[in-house]
Amino acid sequence: MSRRRLLPRLPRRSSLLARYSAIIVSAVLVLPLLLAVVGIATTVSTALMSSDRGDSPYRDPTKLRQSWEAVAASLGGIPEAEAASRLRDWQARYPQTRVFRIDAQGRLRESYPHREDLPTQWTASGTVEFMKKAVNGPIFTVVAFVGSGSKSGSSSGSDQGTGPTAGFNAGSASSSDSGEGFIVMEIPRELTKPYAQRGGRVSSTVYAVGVLTLLGVFLAVSFLFFTRIRRRLVRLQQAMEQPAGSGLPQPIEPSGDDEIGRLERSFSAMARQLEEGRQREAAEEELRRELIAKLSHDVRTPLTVIRAHAFSLEKEPLRESGRESLRVMTAKLDYLSQLMENLFSYNLLAAGKYPYRPARTDVARLAREQLAAWYPAFEQAGVELSSELEGQAVYWEVDPLWLERVLDNLLQNALRHAASGRFVEVRLDEREGGRLSVADRGPGMDAPSPGKGSGLGLQIVRLMLARMSLRLVTESGPGGTIVTIEATSYF
Amino acid sequence: MEITKLLYIEDDPEIGGWLARDLRERGYEVEWLKDGEKAEERAEDADLALLDVMLPGLDGFTVGQKLKRRHPQLPVLMLSARATVEDKVQGLAFADDYVTKPFHPDELAARIEVLLRRSGKEGERPLRLGHLLVRPQELTVTDAESGEEIALTPKQLQILLYLLRNDGRIRTKEQIYEAVWGEPYMEGDKTVMVHIRYLRERIERDPARPQLIETVRGIGYRVRST
Repeated sequence: MSRRRLLPRLPRRSSLLARYSAIIVSAVLVLPLLLAVVGIATTVSTALMSSDRGDSPYRDPTKLRQSWEAVAASLGGIPEAEAASRLRDWQARYPQTRVFRIDAQGRLRESYPHREDLPTQWTASGTVEFMKKAVNGPIFTVVAFVGSGSKSGSSSGSDQGTGPTAGFNAGSASSSDSGEGFIVMEIPRELTKPYAQRGGRVSSTVYAVGVLTLLGVFLAVSFLFFTRIRRRLVRLQQAMEQPAGSGLPQPIEPSGDDEIGRLERSFSAMARQLEEGRQREAAEEELRRELIAKLSHDVRTPLTVIRAHAFSLEKEPLRESGRESLRVMTAKLDYLSQLMENLFSYNLLAAGKYPYRPARTDVARLAREQLAAWYPAFEQAGVELSSELEGQAVYWEVDPLWLERVLDNLLQNALRHAASGRFVEVRLDEREGGRLSVADRGPGMDAPSPGKGSGLGLQIVRLMLARMSLRLVTESGPGGTIVTIEATSYF
Repeated sequence: MEITKLLYIEDDPEIGGWLARDLRERGYEVEWLKDGEKAEERAEDADLALLDVMLPGLDGFTVGQKLKRRHPQLPVLMLSARATVEDKVQGLAFADDYVTKPFHPDELAARIEVLLRRSGKEGERPLRLGHLLVRPQELTVTDAESGEEIALTPKQLQILLYLLRNDGRIRTKEQIYEAVWGEPYMEGDKTVMVHIRYLRERIERDPARPQLIETVRGIGYRVRST
């Protein structure tokens, strides 16, 4: 019991191994020792109890039987009244016994103390039945023939060791022997046993209770030991799984100096490092974002000026070669500004800073509006823009601005790299959650294209689609390219 | 006729100088400010404001919002080197249009025209569409050649005016429906198609081969005035 109080008092100083060892050692060494102590204590206390009682007249069944046989012998040939009186006297000497006498005719003469449950007439078979019952019953029974001192029967348990093991010679008694009847003495078998044995049941109960208590204490200590470890581990696990608002786990207060305490300290250190890292990263990210935003602006401003002067030049009278140079300049300027914008967008997207507001979006309608915006550009480039959107009901849970941007990039690519095919078709298919495809008859993605860039535009498309649970499938060959946006899951 | 006055706020001297000149050449009166400090007072007699997003001191968004609060009728067009969707959304929350740099001056001029028309400043001037003369202010459509007025139902007139306001741009059936009826478009609705058919019967020389309202197959409708 003292361990129980000790546990919280010197907790978590020593290592878990040391404390576990203490429990195991106590189980292996101290527990048997304690069990032995309990055993000895039980025996001693039982011995003390029996010595209090002093000697019992019933303790020696042999003596008791001899005494009874002596009475039986003395009853031979004396008058009825005298016999009854002797019997009563004997019973008075051994008050725990019960005695009765059956005469030669099998009649019950008297019983001390007086009993009503005995048959008044005893037949030979009835007698045998009575004796059979007595052999292993809880009552130690001695039957002695009146007048004969040597022949008697006694019931006895096999553990007794005194008297005939299971014999009972009354059944074999000759008629001459039973001429004067018999007397029977009964006593609870318990009383004939030595105290040590008699108290056996009590002491074994005490012993069992002691053992169970010790085992219980041991189990309780082990259980406590493990539940404490478990509780601390669960706390740690929860701290890991329930991150704070920043999305990172928060440091926790260490609960001791042992292994778990050290683990908690390491975890807290790690959480702090993560937090610092995140802050540093956020600061760097912010700086980079700023930088790219500034760069984008800084590059766009001179671009706008160059562009403006190029427009002014358009109005001047120029030779055809001069006009051609101007066209190339303008195209490259367009490309450069597009690139800047893609760089800026990619920067935001990769940092997850691009605001995403998904809503149920009518894809046909959105695509139609995008096509309406792009149609003049295709018209000017002499490319037929075919729309196959009618009658297809497709709704995606996406940010419409994102999907517009994706379609923008795809149409821009088609116009820039596949204008030679003179045909671009945008088709919507409502089956399997919906597919939106942009098909051209250009030279294919592997063909060298003068406007071919870093593929940043397509990279932005892929990033955005992945975020919207959509997928890009491209099929490209010399005959053209089909870019398809598919729903990754549909119901 | 009164000259249209544009208020132009731009910090970059090169772009500002060039665009101000270009717009003056197009017949506008241009007041060019280097920052947004005095924008609100100067906007009193302006017909439209052109606003750069990146300005020293107050940024273009703030200036634009202030302008809009003080002069709710004044069309505001944002010019920006920032072309992210986010910027566009932020800009269009109050501005009437948003043009990213670099832009073609013709495109900018076209957008300015559209905004002015929408705000009614240009409304007094009849619009010419093929053989039609449309007076948005009086809500009348006349045949320029015969001088006869063409009777249109209110919806037909609204559709025509809506397409004219978006001159040169294709509008989808959804956009037309929502602009004219003011209700969300229901999928599969044929109302717009039917109304345009009747409109064509009134205004086209040969409704079977329409010249004024062009159908862009699978996309929408467009008018192109000259």
